[in-house]
Amino acid sequence: MLLNQFLLLAAILFSIGVYGVIVRRNGVLVLMSIELILNAVNINLVAFGANSGIAGQVFALFVIAVAAAEVGVGLAIVLLIYRNRRSVDIDQLDELKG
Amino acid sequence: MPDFVAPTLDLHALAPEFVLAGVVCVLLLLDVVLLDRAKAIVGSIAGLGLLGSLVPILTLATSDHPTRTMFGGSYVVDSTSLLLKALFIVSAYVVVLLSTNYIGEGDYWESEYYTLLVSSVLGMTVMASARDLISIFVALELLSIPAYMLAAWSKRDGRSNEAGMKYYLMGVFASAILLYGMSLLYGWSGSTQLSEIGRAIGEKNSPAVTLGVVFVLVGFAFKVSAVPFHMWAPDTYEGAPTPVTAFLAVASKAAGFVALIQVIGQALVLRMNVMIPVVAVLAALSMTIGNLIALRQTNVIRMLAYSGIAQAGFMLAPFVASQYGGIDAIVIYLVLYAATNLGAFAVVMAIARRTRSAEISSFGGLFSYSPGLAVALSVFLASFVGIPPLGIWYGKLSVMRALIESQGRWATVLAIFVALNTAIAAYYYLNVAKTMWFDDAPEGESTPIKVPTSLRFAVGIALVATIALGVYPGPLTDAATPEATPAAAPSGR
Amino acid sequence: MIASLFAAQACAPSECFAVPANIAFGICALLMIGAAIKVVTETNIVHAALYLVVVLAGVGVNYLILQAEFLAVTQFLVYIGAIIVLFLFGIMLTRAPMGRSDDLDNAKLRPAGIGAAVMLLVVLGGALLSSFGETHLVFSTANSTTALSDAVFNQYLIPFEVVSVMLLAALIGAIVLARRD
Repeated sequence: MLLNQFLLLAAILFSIGVYGVIVRRNGVLVLMSIELILNAVNINLVAFGANSGIAGQVFALFVIAVAAAEVGVGLAIVLLIYRNRRSVDIDQLDELKG
Repeated sequence: MPDFVAPTLDLHALAPEFVLAGVVCVLLLLDVVLLDRAKAIVGSIAGLGLLGSLVPILTLATSDHPTRTMFGGSYVVDSTSLLLKALFIVSAYVVVLLSTNYIGEGDYWESEYYTLLVSSVLGMTVMASARDLISIFVALELLSIPAYMLAAWSKRDGRSNEAGMKYYLMGVFASAILLYGMSLLYGWSGSTQLSEIGRAIGEKNSPAVTLGVVFVLVGFAFKVSAVPFHMWAPDTYEGAPTPVTAFLAVASKAAGFVALIQVIGQALVLRMNVMIPVVAVLAALSMTIGNLIALRQTNVIRMLAYSGIAQAGFMLAPFVASQYGGIDAIVIYLVLYAATNLGAFAVVMAIARRTRSAEISSFGGLFSYSPGLAVALSVFLASFVGIPPLGIWYGKLSVMRALIESQGRWATVLAIFVALNTAIAAYYYLNVAKTMWFDDAPEGESTPIKVPTSLRFAVGIALVATIALGVYPGPLTDAATPEATPAAAPSGR
Repeated sequence: MIASLFAAQACAPSECFAVPANIAFGICALLMIGAAIKVVTETNIVHAALYLVVVLAGVGVNYLILQAEFLAVTQFLVYIGAIIVLFLFGIMLTRAPMGRSDDLDNAKLRPAGIGAAVMLLVVLGGALLSSFGETHLVFSTANSTTALSDAVFNQYLIPFEVVSVMLLAALIGAIVLARRD
């Protein structure tokens, strides 16, 4: 198997994720796009790790743990905003401008 | 199957982190045990705990082995990292002093607030010693995740919610970009240790390494709010509770710089051809655009936010002169900037308690009715400008010296940018001072502003640090200059 | 490159499965890319979350192909078992419309988004192809779960402890922010 087949798959997922972050307006959907990027990173890490030792897998494990914490915190903030303004549209966050 | 070998730990070197972790647990348990009575003491406990974690730092600094290495070089405690840890802890202590009245009087969750604050500081202290990609990433997340939540801590205030959301989305996206870059660097070198990565990418370049370096730098540029990745900073600073803003503007930004110092100083120093153009462009844009927008601000907090972006540019510039003491200059600048900026925030908070606004116009005639605060703020503003012998002048001097000594083309251009931008910045800093000294006070403002003891204390600490370190920077320079950095001797090892 | 994916190589122990593994990879990759595009274009927010499940499961299968079985299990348990459920809770608690809705995208930014994604893909693809051209996977680590646990509790002990404090802080903060008071 070639290393590059995994790296290219990850690169495609990464690009799709970046597109999602730019275009999506709903807070939850932006988070999902960021998950795509993080998974692309993990495929990279594990594929590189297959040739160069265990560190890649350890790194990927930490990324999964951190992603779980980030999603939890993100959804708490989304809920907080929804409670105060009945919307999770991030384009409507415009009280602070300058 | 090989048996598991337990790692050897140097408990003395880890003591500051252990104390901070203990403080986190105590703060949480206090709330459970004392219920409502905890409210009165959590702030003091957090402050005392932070001061307590300075004790092992002092014993480490004066011990016989100032440099301690663990986990095969992944975790290093040396004089620079001790200085940075002390910087984070003292900054956080001042933030606790700023918070005592603000958080106590408002509608906030107190003991959870201090728990998150201290755990964020724990992440920063780990960052100061981390020398591999995994530790740096995890420390970065430990220091940012509580910060996202603290920015939104004023739960009923829509502006605070918005500040938290913007900071969170930008921060998480930046981490993802940073991670992609780290994965490429790891893939090329086969190791997560910065020194190994430095050796591998120094021997042989490839397009993947170039992309990895660019992605890592872009990810950190978000964290330190360098232009063009600064959009979140002014909004977050204005919307977040003011003590949290001070924390983000000083400690959090310093931690981003510390991560950059490790990554650039240990790993990327042999790929200067990729790194210098990226960093130089970021630095020049941050200085110029930050200053130009700061000129137009009417709100002091927003002005401090944009001037912070410009100051980040000053601190990014010496990276192009990494081999010529540029990194030491950044460490010196960080310490002086922290003292001055915290002081400025403390005074603005004291004034805003009375005027309920941070508009520059509301500072008019401050000298006539509250001369103490006016003099203190003038000192901090003069330090921002770089007037000797106040604090930041020495930082600016170190930055310029490193840039000029390196004699590179980019460094020379940046030195000119630094000089021009110092002049622009002087205009808006001194404009605030002029308002305080010469404009008329608003109607009915004649009684002096009453400043709570904790704020008084915070202003005092910042004032002493700003003046003392500006007049006598010797010890600071000694601590910031490591005995033998890989940056200074790339041929060694 | 395509030819070398299916070339019958001399059967070293780790290479015996190369052809079936490559076929599995190909199917899996196509499904993942399709589902990932649906995640960022779908107009029904619940469907987007379900398409994300397909991508995450595909990543898990990739871990299995790469002989990282512990990570594959973690991927299914944590990502699909916990994170997706969190997303679905988030969608329901914010009363997102269950059917189609047209205001999920910022239509003005679509060309910019496509431009950025295509440019990134071209740059990344070019860089990866020229840097790692014909590197084959050799699978250096014999028993990866044992090696993984040894590494986490030895070399990476400090990040491990730091993550535990981070999870605690995230938990406390998220409860405070999300609760009604």
